[in-house]
Amino acid sequence: MKRRINGFQLGLRAFWYLTLAFLYIPLAYVVAFSFNSANSYVRFPELSLRWYERMFGNTALMNAFYNSVTLALTSAVIATLIGAILGYGMYKYRHLKLGWLIWFIYLPIVMPDIVYGISQMTFFVTVHDLTGMLKPGLTTMIIAHVSFQVPFVALLVYSQLVRMDPLLFEATQDLYASPLQRAWFFILPAISASLISSFFLSITLSIDDFVISFFTSGPDSTTLPIFIWSAIKRGVTPEVNAISALMIFAVFSAGLIIYIFQRVRPPKDPTNQ
Amino acid sequence: MNAEAARRSPAAAEDDGRKAQGDTQADTGSAREASSISLRALRKTFGRDVVALEQVDLDIRAGEFFTLLGPSGCGKTTLLRIIAGLEQADSGVLEVGGRDILSTPAHRRSVNTVFQSYALFPHLTVRENISFGLRMRRTPPEECHRRVEETASFIKIAELLDRGVEQLSGGQAQRVALARALINEPDVLLLDEPLSALDAGLRTELQLELLRTQKRLGMTFVFVTHDQEEAMVMSDRIAVLNDGRIQQLGSPEEIYERPENLFVARFMGHTNIYPVEPEGGGDRYASPFGTVEISAERTGSHMLLRPESLELLPAGETGTNCFPARVSERFYRGAAVEYRLECGRESVTATLTNRGQTHFRVGDEVTLALDTQSLVFLDP
Amino acid sequence: MNPATATGMSFLALVRQSWHVLATIGPGVVFIVIFLVLPSIMLMTVAFMTNGPYGLPEMPFTLQAFRELAGFGFLGWSPGNLYTLWRSIWQTAIATSLVILIAYPIAYYISTRPAHMQPLLLLIVIVPSWTNQVIRAFAWMNILAPGSAVTNAAYNLGFLSEYMGLFPSTFAVVLGLVYNFLPFMVLPLYASFQNLDHRLIQAARDLYATPVKAFFQAVFPQTLPGLMAGTVLVSIPAFGMYVIPDLLGGGKSSMIGNLVARQFSDASNWPLGGAAAMIMILATLLGLLVLRRVGRRAGGGREVVL
Repeated sequence: MKRRINGFQLGLRAFWYLTLAFLYIPLAYVVAFSFNSANSYVRFPELSLRWYERMFGNTALMNAFYNSVTLALTSAVIATLIGAILGYGMYKYRHLKLGWLIWFIYLPIVMPDIVYGISQMTFFVTVHDLTGMLKPGLTTMIIAHVSFQVPFVALLVYSQLVRMDPLLFEATQDLYASPLQRAWFFILPAISASLISSFFLSITLSIDDFVISFFTSGPDSTTLPIFIWSAIKRGVTPEVNAISALMIFAVFSAGLIIYIFQRVRPPKDPTNQ
Repeated sequence: MNAEAARRSPAAAEDDGRKAQGDTQADTGSAREASSISLRALRKTFGRDVVALEQVDLDIRAGEFFTLLGPSGCGKTTLLRIIAGLEQADSGVLEVGGRDILSTPAHRRSVNTVFQSYALFPHLTVRENISFGLRMRRTPPEECHRRVEETASFIKIAELLDRGVEQLSGGQAQRVALARALINEPDVLLLDEPLSALDAGLRTELQLELLRTQKRLGMTFVFVTHDQEEAMVMSDRIAVLNDGRIQQLGSPEEIYERPENLFVARFMGHTNIYPVEPEGGGDRYASPFGTVEISAERTGSHMLLRPESLELLPAGETGTNCFPARVSERFYRGAAVEYRLECGRESVTATLTNRGQTHFRVGDEVTLALDTQSLVFLDP
Repeated sequence: MNPATATGMSFLALVRQSWHVLATIGPGVVFIVIFLVLPSIMLMTVAFMTNGPYGLPEMPFTLQAFRELAGFGFLGWSPGNLYTLWRSIWQTAIATSLVILIAYPIAYYISTRPAHMQPLLLLIVIVPSWTNQVIRAFAWMNILAPGSAVTNAAYNLGFLSEYMGLFPSTFAVVLGLVYNFLPFMVLPLYASFQNLDHRLIQAARDLYATPVKAFFQAVFPQTLPGLMAGTVLVSIPAFGMYVIPDLLGGGKSSMIGNLVARQFSDASNWPLGGAAAMIMILATLLGLLVLRRVGRRAGGGREVVL
């Protein structure tokens, strides 16, 4: 087919590049100015790594980093466990008219995070007042994060199961697998793809979250986003550029890894017929 | 009915093959006996309204190739799945090899299934798929490996063993599914329309392979299909089902040449079906062509004329059961010639083998001669 | 009607299945009920309580908070809260419209690229949204700050007075919203374009439709499900945004999310916060309903999950 380069195509392509610029220039800005030797957005005398040095020496910031990582990993593990079992249950008993369950699962996903955060905050404060348990801190944050990660995990696992040939389950029975053997030799390998991706999705959701963490955090459980927020509010910004640039870099690395993963290894999706 | 025929494992059958070729290694396979299947008063409903099976009574002989034939929704697959244990019957008795297995869960029945979509495990290789059943029963790895090799060479898929499942063609996948089932040496092998996903040429080839495999192993096969030709080619006996009931049970000859009711006749592809009524007494029947004389032990509401049993004589011939007709259409099919005739107000199809005789032309007046031996009466 | 005979199972089997169902679905559902549903209900209860002296809610139950939300405070009626509500709505509307206008051509563009490129292009569009929303707002703060290149250009073009920045302003907030939610619209639209039945377009051309007519008759209707899904996925969360209006809008362009948060910090009026939160929850449920309806229609009448 002849490639006709007409005005429409050109305009579309220009629009594409404009949009890309729109998307990337702000982030590039932050990264660029993180190497600014001067504490300014107007002058750029020379390149420097001083903010990065300051960053590593900042104990509060390092604490926040540690908290972010702990929070993300812990909540992701718990959420993947609960969510996988939930997703499997949703699949296995899908003929039992549990449509309301899907509604229910969507709730945490669609709910605005401010309402989420505030309601959890009032809940934890009330419980703390009544029982002395659940002081706002890492524990309450983990609980909050798990509760919004579980739906994602459940939905991912459920949709992978739904795409499989249902006869496969029966084939395992036909071939002498007891229920336990079925779970270990068939179901687990079959959902491994969605388990892995929902684990990483949970980590991402957790690290990225600000509002919910903010309202459920305690004095010692600052996470990176909360740290950045406070820094912005106080007007102390140079290290913020550095840590932001690092986080941007981390995100892009993740994106790159995912891309390479998909290209080099053709996706071994065990659900494809 | 406990007739159990001696039958061979794939290993033993493979040995037989080798012995026939002059290899004199000792017989290594264990000969297990084939099993018969008994179904009594089996009933299955889905929900409150859908009756899938109504009081099915069936005896399948050990070592036979038995087919359940019928249109979609007739209950044949449900029946198969009840034997496999993937579906629970509401009531009735199911015996395999004389043992009641209705209360045995599927994963403990010595019954294996070849599914319509093959249901091969996508995350396993061919070898791992085939050995799955053995591994679930904790067969030691060396024996596992040996049996996989034997079964694979028996089914002629040895070169596919280390491939992934996605890379298989339809025919190869079907063979792998078969191997995966056979390696477990089940009492009974169930096949749920395993060939319907294949194209015509491959289908014919695999039909013959399946048949030969069954004969070599001497295993009881229960085969489900909606294709009456496939059923006739492969089966020792056929049960035709409709609406959850067995319409007729018999050999392919019996089902095709002597269908008992309208449904079976139409399902087997017959078109020359005409209503009849007894006329006078004795052996005379009123048909759309005229009076038909036949001494039949049974009667029915309709009569069936098989196209290949009809004779066409030149116009003007008379005799019992001869009727004037006119050729309205003619189809030359090489090995045979098919005529559409108008007789009375009815249309009759007659197929004559092409033996080089002069053929009639469209518009010719002929005499249609019925062969009283092949005339069949049908119930509604 | 005995449930056992209705389902065809024995009583024992029914019990066993119920136990299995509970064991799998139980933990997840219980977790969500305790830690999401319960808190939400508590928040809604608070909305009906009286504001105590320290900002904490007390009995008796009253509709005072809702009256305050409508503007009827102690000093008579003031429109502040209603303005905030109204601002939330139209800022969301503008942002969503802009997102649609931008995402539509982008999604189309991606879908017309060679198939092996498309995942990469999608990734390129999505990756920026993986950065933290605080960082993203921060980035725009820098770009729109007084003295930056962009601000200077705007000043030179006459859009601004001297020493002012492009933020804090409504413009900045809308910009931030668009920046935040663009990928959420590109994905569903792209999916719609993927599933486009080209035969319909060919049929339209075959029947003498001009390209524009063909678009509106054959292409646009098919992308409607994706468009609606994207609209819900963008507008509902945008409506409830907190970080962007706070950082990029200062105190002037606050939206309902900021209003809610204020009641739980400085303004100390939990019931009012709860009342406003209820508005947000209702908007969410509305969005969920629409999403489900759209999903069902797009899925041909069946329940579509993802």
